Amino acid sequence: MRALDAIRRANLPGPPENSVRLRIACLGTVLVSIAACASVGEVSRLTAGVAMVLVSLGTLFSHRTRVQPPGWVKVVVAAGAIGAFAWFFHSLTSAEIITTIDSPLGLLLICVLVVHSFHVPSRRDLLFSLAASAGLMAVAGAQAIDLGFGLAVVAWMCFGLWALTEMWTSASGGGRISVAGLLCALAAMSTAAAAVFLVLPAPVVASRVSFLAQAGAGGSVGVPGALAGDSGSPAQLSRAGSPSSPIRVGGYLGFAGSLNTALRGSLATTLVMQVRAERPSYWVGETFDTWNGESWTETQEGSHPLRETSPFVLPVPVGGAPLGQSDLQTFYVADATADLVFHAETADELWFPTSRVFYSDDGTIVSPIGLGSGSIYTVDSQVIAPTPAQLRSDLSTQTLPPQTLAQDGQLPHPYPRVQALARSITAGDTTTYGKVQSLIGWIGAHTHYSIDIPPLPAGADTVDEFLFGNRVGFCEQISTSLAVMLRSLGIPVREAVGYVPGGYDPITDLWQVHADDAHAWVQVWFPGYGWQNFDPTAVVPLSNPSPGATALKDVAGALRRVPWAPVVVIVAGAGLVVLAVRRHRSRPATWAARVARDTERAGRRAGRPRRPAETLAEYAAALDELSEDGSTWGGLASSVEASAYGGREPPPDAQRAMIAEARGGRVRRPAGAGVRD
Amino acid sequence: MAVAVMIVAIWWLVAHNGGSGWVQLLGDLVFGVLCIGILGPGLVVGRARVEVRSAPADGVAGWPVVIRVVARTRVRVRPVEPPGDEVFVGPVRHEGAVDHRVTVVPVRRGVHDTVTLDIASAAPFALQWWTRRVQLPLPSSLHVSPRRGRARPPSTSPQEDVGEVREQPRTDMGLPRGARPYVPGDSRRLVHWGATAHAGKLMVRELEQPSAGPVTVDVDLPDDPEEAERVAEGALGTVVQLLDTGAPVLLGTLEPSGPVLAPVTDRRGAGRRLARAVARRSVSGAGAGAGAT
Repeated sequence: MRALDAIRRANLPGPPENSVRLRIACLGTVLVSIAACASVGEVSRLTAGVAMVLVSLGTLFSHRTRVQPPGWVKVVVAAGAIGAFAWFFHSLTSAEIITTIDSPLGLLLICVLVVHSFHVPSRRDLLFSLAASAGLMAVAGAQAIDLGFGLAVVAWMCFGLWALTEMWTSASGGGRISVAGLLCALAAMSTAAAAVFLVLPAPVVASRVSFLAQAGAGGSVGVPGALAGDSGSPAQLSRAGSPSSPIRVGGYLGFAGSLNTALRGSLATTLVMQVRAERPSYWVGETFDTWNGESWTETQEGSHPLRETSPFVLPVPVGGAPLGQSDLQTFYVADATADLVFHAETADELWFPTSRVFYSDDGTIVSPIGLGSGSIYTVDSQVIAPTPAQLRSDLSTQTLPPQTLAQDGQLPHPYPRVQALARSITAGDTTTYGKVQSLIGWIGAHTHYSIDIPPLPAGADTVDEFLFGNRVGFCEQISTSLAVMLRSLGIPVREAVGYVPGGYDPITDLWQVHADDAHAWVQVWFPGYGWQNFDPTAVVPLSNPSPGATALKDVAGALRRVPWAPVVVIVAGAGLVVLAVRRHRSRPATWAARVARDTERAGRRAGRPRRPAETLAEYAAALDELSEDGSTWGGLASSVEASAYGGREPPPDAQRAMIAEARGGRVRRPAGAGVRD
Repeated sequence: MAVAVMIVAIWWLVAHNGGSGWVQLLGDLVFGVLCIGILGPGLVVGRARVEVRSAPADGVAGWPVVIRVVARTRVRVRPVEPPGDEVFVGPVRHEGAVDHRVTVVPVRRGVHDTVTLDIASAAPFALQWWTRRVQLPLPSSLHVSPRRGRARPPSTSPQEDVGEVREQPRTDMGLPRGARPYVPGDSRRLVHWGATAHAGKLMVRELEQPSAGPVTVDVDLPDDPEEAERVAEGALGTVVQLLDTGAPVLLGTLEPSGPVLAPVTDRRGAGRRLARAVARRSVSGAGAGAGAT
């Protein structure tokens, strides 16, 4: 019975809310949240516009009928809410998975907000609107992939805080929060939010309910299934680069049928894509197995189409690893990129906005459409991340197919010097992993990284030039040298190109992949674990390092890693608190001190500061002689002294009047004031 | 607070497992808002300075008494002792500190040197109310006199069981001293018809108050507060009635400082004496009450 009574009490209608400003502020939060949903594509702009108009009309209706809401309104609102929930659950149960960005949750919340807006008579109902708008913002935030969403968050917070302060004003019969108090509250709120943000671990993609796939602005490609760059058309998104022709994919010369290691494009810094993933990985685009001394190519000709409906179940690539740990990644393409489907090794399932994709036996996936801005696809990879100890003790007897084994150990010529060097470096190593690590260590100790090197002369072997020349090169040359050294030792290796994980944005929880994150590395085959990534470039220092440049780079790197947004918020919040406290402490404690201070200010402005030995009455008398508007400084001083020394307090109204008079009083600048003799 | 933490925890759990940093950030902001909305009022209430600017010196039990309270911040005030109505005090729209009327209704007689208030605030977001009980000194003691109860006749009343006739004291009672012409306002009962006939104009008796000694009202309050209140009310009624007749009254009470027997001349004085009166604690077995002799 107590519970029933509590429910009855909770359902009792509250007193009508008369504050128009509170209603406007609440309406603002709701409208901003609906607009935010539309901005991230959660609902269409038409739907959002209609919803915003209806919510505005509903708010007006609620205000007009707040004293005695019509009985039928509650029935209609309840029926609308029940209908919205029924539709929502039907949508969830009718589809096995949600593959589109139009999540029904956003539409449900908007429907609830619309119907609820017609029955908001009391303050409690307005609080519900605020809470629902917070939920809607969360739904929109789940789809936001850039910092532009911050504008919506800021607008929503402004309206929300306005609504909450108006709520206090309404509840307290006109109480107002002072500016200093509001600043303190904001600073404390920001500090608490920043502290929680810093303390809590970063979010991870663990829920498997949303597998996004959406076609963007890429358009069609010339030769579906083949790497578009090989068609030679400059209109294609990716193609084999040359120093003289423009490169569309951020300046990278790979992402085509071949990789010329003699050339290095000038990489741009544009954002290519954003990746939401459970863990950072090398986003591999394609691999190469044939080395001719200058370029890498892939032996397997063409790729075969997979004609299924999304999601595509991808076959295990040749030499693929046994099942590993599932790693779900969603790629948001930000700029036109290659028609390669980048993914973490090894892709197992693909949600893609087409009816077919092209797949090669080495695991390369090619899109039949151009991947332009706005394209979204999701990949589920089976990632095996063995420990060094596991790789060192890999005793599996599984072998690659003979043809693949031969191709992944292929060399255009014997490389005797390279082989001798590799053997001398790995003389003490008995395992594949040990040899790889020894070679990487040697490369890191004896070579330098630079992209400012001239193209190699025609016909020159990249590996010979790099290892036995000036030992300065870039990632393609460094990784190729490792690959050739390993192949000279009989270890199956292939060259991989793609992107490094990029920078992590903790706000959007997305890895930001830029064009200059394009990279080349090697994949070494381990019988028990499949192809494993090794990046020798990571240990190679910059060429001609100077202490100053290195220190500056370290400092810059450290500064880049600082989470600036929370730090700035904390510092700003602390500064505001300090300012507020100082201002509070410096504020005159009594009205008399305030009047005395304003009197001295007025005198200083007029060039007649108070002298050290001058009493307030004497000073006021001097100001009276200079007064422009007939201000009676003397009268004010008398009241102040009566209060300070005689304990005679004027009534509050008189105190306020005197404060206003002292603040507004003007004193004529005396002749000669401010002029130096 | 627990509900707020639970909401934020669920929100964060969804955000964390949903993989969206924006949702987590929004949750953190909501957490910050809830923190300030829930804990902020505690700070406001803790720092609130409320003082009683003025209060009357006298009141009557059961009747409202208005005291004026000033506060630097807007707070809700609910008088606890004496109890009263809830009211908001404090500046509105950047006004300075102005005093507000707070109405208290003392239940019983007594002397109040302080007033106990529950001050509450939900600033800045009206999400959670915090309350603090404060005891504020009054500028001057508030003497709450008892209500005026039914007067108890003097104990020298006639004994009806032995045939004596009880005469009610009359306000127009007195000894005739002579006759004088009627003036407006004289009671009709004082018209002296014989003198009127003799003089040819309306004549009335001229009375003189009988000289008598002061009436002593000895108030002996029982321990039970309710009963004591009734006794005090009756005592006040008796004293006031006696004073109305013009009789000098000596009021005997037991005050914290000891027994007091002193004349009272008006109702306010009697009320104050009865407000200060305390119950007898040393006498046991004797009947309590107010007796006039």
